[in-house]
Amino acid sequence: MLGTFCVLSAGVQRAWSSSSCLFMDPSSPGLVLQSQSTDVFQNLALEDWIDAHVDLQQRSILLLWRNRPTVVIGRHQNPWAECNLPAMRSAQVPVARRRSGGGTVYHDLGNLNLTFFASKKAYDRRRNLKVVTDALRRVRPQLDIQATDRLDILLNGRYKISGTASRLSRKSSYHHCTLLHSADRSAIAVLLRPSCPGIRSNATPSIPSPVTNLTDHAPSLQWEELLEAVVQQYSSEFGLTSSSQCVDPADEALFPGVGSMEAELRGWQWTFGKTPKFSVETQLELRDERPAARCSAQLQLEVKNGRVESCRVEVPATWLPERLSASLAQALLGERFCPHRAAAALSALLRCESGPLHSRLRNLCDVLVAAMG
Amino acid sequence: MAMRAALRCLSVNFSPRLPQLSSAAQVSATRLLCRSGAPRTLSTTSGQCTALKFTEKHEWVLVESGIGTVGISNYAQEALGDVVYCGLPEVGQKLEQLDECGALESVKAASELYSPLTGEVTAINTELAENPGLVNKSCYADGWLIKMTIERPEELDRLMDQPAYDKFIKSLEE
Repeated sequence: MLGTFCVLSAGVQRAWSSSSCLFMDPSSPGLVLQSQSTDVFQNLALEDWIDAHVDLQQRSILLLWRNRPTVVIGRHQNPWAECNLPAMRSAQVPVARRRSGGGTVYHDLGNLNLTFFASKKAYDRRRNLKVVTDALRRVRPQLDIQATDRLDILLNGRYKISGTASRLSRKSSYHHCTLLHSADRSAIAVLLRPSCPGIRSNATPSIPSPVTNLTDHAPSLQWEELLEAVVQQYSSEFGLTSSSQCVDPADEALFPGVGSMEAELRGWQWTFGKTPKFSVETQLELRDERPAARCSAQLQLEVKNGRVESCRVEVPATWLPERLSASLAQALLGERFCPHRAAAALSALLRCESGPLHSRLRNLCDVLVAAMG
Repeated sequence: MAMRAALRCLSVNFSPRLPQLSSAAQVSATRLLCRSGAPRTLSTTSGQCTALKFTEKHEWVLVESGIGTVGISNYAQEALGDVVYCGLPEVGQKLEQLDECGALESVKAASELYSPLTGEVTAINTELAENPGLVNKSCYADGWLIKMTIERPEELDRLMDQPAYDKFIKSLEE
């Protein structure tokens, strides 16, 4: 499936031995690249690399890419609020934070990503989206395709098939958008919901929209056909010769330094540590088996830079002595807001406490860990 | 249009809440931002405060008692559109001049912030967490972004003063 992604159209694929050949070819003021990788971190790193290293004052670049199942959150979003991290862990779907703004999206191999690179002066999202809408109208004229004021692309006036985000840096810009060809919509419903209850945050929120795939309305539209149409439309809109080049975003020779960009994007510090400060306030339901009894407790946490900055666990003193709930709260301070880290921090506490309170303490620990997504 | 915008910004911004400027400095900073043709003077009030300096990235720096307050210019806030989130550096973070140190997210894009100087962040504007729109409404006063120490005063000298920045903007608009 990977191999078929590199569509070779009228142009001939040349072997690029260095990025200077690739990006400074005077015969092409524009370039269409297709990534060979389906790894979100490699692809995001390639975007960063192009933005940082290619002189976009004289040329434009279109990068086409797709990822294995991933959830991608915007620059200033809260991953715990935006997606179901426990479900994603089970399904081995990673979360990635991109550098552009905007909301959360689900990527899989049925979703095409397009990144339009240009100078800041030439930054024009509407013009870019016109490439997509014109391409779609050309290959399937019967489809009702419109770009909105928010720069979404809607099908039949109500279903979102594309969302947009962008980044402006020193001299350059990139605008990227998704395009739903044949993505797994049931995964979207399951994965794009909060990890845990009670999150209060001023992180940028997502705006949920009903989505649809192009193939739900034009079943005969092949992936290669879609790519070809977009490449041709880009070339005609920007006055270029129609051809595209396949690139390997992990190729350090072609893109020196891309490996460390990828490592940063993949790391906990960028993905979770960059989360705007937030608080969690939720009720915990506690249980004991022998004798059967129940009780409610209050949890209040502040999370800064992805770590527990403050924690209060209010358990009725009749259920557990205050000293125990207080030491539990204390044990979480400074730990990553993460169920595994919480479980490890609390297990030391549990080991110290035997006797009749142990089962209640254990239950409180389990419920606390579960509240951390 | 830019002048009207500057004057509008001026009347909103230079309320008594302008942080920590003596009234004399406030008057001369006022004169600097007012393009009505009044003579542009640098403040000389006991060396306490300097004139606004600008970077090519449209950030401004105002120095008082060795601490630089940093924000973005009216040109920048207009270009950005409505700011929905301010991603700022941490207090204590050490920055080199031109280091990426955060981003302002608006409906248009996430726009990278670059440190105008080398120094250490001493304060960040916590009002912006609840009210990011202050950057648009009051870019020279309540919408300030960070305060930082000035490790290399020569960097400050090389930034643009008001007249040079006005000229710079004009050249961009052509």
